[in-house]
Amino acid sequence: MEDTLPCSYSPLPNGPPTIEGPLDKRRPRKKATLIIFSGLLLLLALFVAITVGDYRNSHNVHENENDEALLATSEPSSVSIPSEQVHSVSRGVSAGVSEKSNRVFADHNAISYPWNNSMLSWQRTSFHFQPEKNWMNDPNGPMFYKGWYHFFYQYNPNGAVWGDIVWGHAVSTDLIHWLHLPLAMVADQWYDINGVWTGSATVLPNGEVVMLYTGSTNESVQVQNLAYPANLSDPLLINWVKYSDNPVLLPPPGINKNDFRDPTTAWYTSDGKWKFAIGSRVNTTGITLVYHTKDFKSYERLDGLLHSVPDTGMWECVDFYPVSKMAGKGLDTSVTGPGVKHVMKTSLDNDRQDYYALGIYDEKTDTWVPDNPNIGIGIRYDYGMFYASKTFYDEQKERRVLWGWIGESDSEFADMKKGWASVQGIPRTVLLDTKTGSNLLQWPVEEVDSLRLSGKEFDKVEVKAGSVVPLDIVSATQLDIVAEFELDKEALERTAQSNVEFSCGNSRGAAQRGALGPFGLLILADESLSEQTPVYFYIAKGTDGNLTTFFCVDQSRSSEATDVNKQIHGGYVPVLKDEKLSVRLLVDHSIVESFVQGGRTCITSRIYPTKAIYGAARLFLFNNATEATVTTSLKIWQMNSAFIHPFRAK
Amino acid sequence: MRTLVFIVLVYLVFQIIFLSSSQCARLSSNDDNLIEKTCKQTPNYNLCISSLKSDPKSATADVTGLALIMVNVLNTTATRTLIHINSLIHHSPSPKIKKALLSCADMYYSGIITADVPVSIEALTKGNPKFADDSTLDAAKEATLCEEGFSGNSPLTVDNTSVNNVARVTEAIVKLLL
Repeated sequence: MEDTLPCSYSPLPNGPPTIEGPLDKRRPRKKATLIIFSGLLLLLALFVAITVGDYRNSHNVHENENDEALLATSEPSSVSIPSEQVHSVSRGVSAGVSEKSNRVFADHNAISYPWNNSMLSWQRTSFHFQPEKNWMNDPNGPMFYKGWYHFFYQYNPNGAVWGDIVWGHAVSTDLIHWLHLPLAMVADQWYDINGVWTGSATVLPNGEVVMLYTGSTNESVQVQNLAYPANLSDPLLINWVKYSDNPVLLPPPGINKNDFRDPTTAWYTSDGKWKFAIGSRVNTTGITLVYHTKDFKSYERLDGLLHSVPDTGMWECVDFYPVSKMAGKGLDTSVTGPGVKHVMKTSLDNDRQDYYALGIYDEKTDTWVPDNPNIGIGIRYDYGMFYASKTFYDEQKERRVLWGWIGESDSEFADMKKGWASVQGIPRTVLLDTKTGSNLLQWPVEEVDSLRLSGKEFDKVEVKAGSVVPLDIVSATQLDIVAEFELDKEALERTAQSNVEFSCGNSRGAAQRGALGPFGLLILADESLSEQTPVYFYIAKGTDGNLTTFFCVDQSRSSEATDVNKQIHGGYVPVLKDEKLSVRLLVDHSIVESFVQGGRTCITSRIYPTKAIYGAARLFLFNNATEATVTTSLKIWQMNSAFIHPFRAK
Repeated sequence: MRTLVFIVLVYLVFQIIFLSSSQCARLSSNDDNLIEKTCKQTPNYNLCISSLKSDPKSATADVTGLALIMVNVLNTTATRTLIHINSLIHHSPSPKIKKALLSCADMYYSGIITADVPVSIEALTKGNPKFADDSTLDAAKEATLCEEGFSGNSPLTVDNTSVNNVARVTEAIVKLLL
């Protein structure tokens, strides 16, 4: 990977208009106009020639009146006018809603939903991290220090929409029970006055903590800044100091001032230097740059790029970390060696999704080679709402932990009404899937289990094709569900092959019946099933006779409200021979997280019911397949609240 | 004699056309080309052109600048709609219409004018355009929702269509920055 950056990056043209001819009045210049002038001249010349047998070459341009007349009669045909006259206002695909979903409520004559306080306050989560109010986005600088897990985040102290971004801060001893602390950093310097944006922490071997973060300067240039704790003996790290000589990095030559943000945690290499990665782009090619430093104050950019993929646009929140090929534990960010693979992860600005790829990192040459040369940007961490994710190494429990920003999928108007927006996903451990070797496994941190209250077991429940089975549980809005599914072998064998390609996003959701699916659970459903969120397996039998398994979350009937996302999210699930189908679900009011086959496939969804809330929410098993009978065993726990609250010194 | 004159004239015409074309290349403004190039990538070319050209700043703006001009147009159009909604409310409509109007007023005020527009401006000026993408899409959604609230008897169809169209043109321009 010895690509070098081009030396110049041509910005979009924005020079002043060119000076015109003999007249001062401005008017639009069109090629056609001049061609028409020449036609006029021809006529004039002909006239002159015919009458006086002579001609005169004239640039006597007849102004405005003639211009208008000429323009009116001959619009240049090179300009295409794809005017879409929108008569009936349809939300269409651009708003993330398929036309199909409106049919579901055809007889209700859907009226845009008036949210009331009861519905809105139900949406707040009980055991997921979120500030007491207002807007949050990217996770920042997660780390473990002196017995505490630290979590920082992009926060708007002034409203429930993005803006005026500063760093929020919270601590916890177990990644679940969080205590809110004062803001760690605000926009008080010229180099971050327009935004204290995303950054990462590096804990040095001598116990020092270095925070590198992006600032948007007073001229909206993206720069990298250094900050560190004011007092290292304060385990809560409440106060932070910005380095007096910030910024430590400006956009390098060839990189646009708006394409240089989100530095990673640094890793230490055998040449005695610290290195960090940062995403950017050149034209439409997304890239990862690497810098090295000895003191975090002065840097050298490495020649070459760690990774680049054409036509992907800007890479945000890049992450780069090792995973062990064997042991089931995490690795410190600086670990390299033969038993190690490295994950190259990026967030794509233009589709708001997170992708990762596995490969081998050579720390001597600072090159990373993907295992699969055609992987491009990689595979999704999560098929639902999950962005700007970031990992850190937890040295206390020797695990790598992943945070992800879970935005809202309702309207901004509803967010303003309820006074907050966004949550963080439940922190997940990340491990290489040693059975497949080609993907990661993500699983809720074990501390989540401590929230389990009463549990109920259902053993070998048979769900026949085309049926719904209610599950009798106390309450259905804060749940941890672990379920296993088995299809009857006969149906698997006798089902005909099909060459129809399946994808969750292009399907009709749980209403689309196949021989071997969909089957799963209906969560956040009301008694009459007027609102329901099916989470389910769908098995397709390909032309080669092989079974392909998918897991989908169908939001199309999740709410009677019309201003919420109604898409079907999901993805392919690798299922190995003799494995039972299994899924773990965390249901916490308006967030549902699905972890399939031990975390091979993950889907995070935001659900906003208007009826299936509080005591009216129910849980059902369902099987909408046409052929197969499904047998399920489940364990369902009621989940306690994490009682996240502000820290109070005693 | 006449045929000779005719041939010379035709020759001259070709010269003039050729000259005009090359003159065009030199004299045409970069910014006109940028505006046209940008508007071709939106769902409503005419609306885009007329909106941008109504602001003299468009002549010297880059794509971010053009997006900001459109956000301003969105703001103006939404504000005009809100004023219209308010006047309709004061003309004693039926309870059903009034309810829908109040809902619309809320969406236009809390959704578009005090949320979507400021977020878009900040995102564009500070260099993080994806938030402007989300917000302009949201603005189109709010206008649609307002319209749907009348179940067919909307007194705001022209306004909502206008806002929707402007929002979608704005979003298309923002997308060019991602």
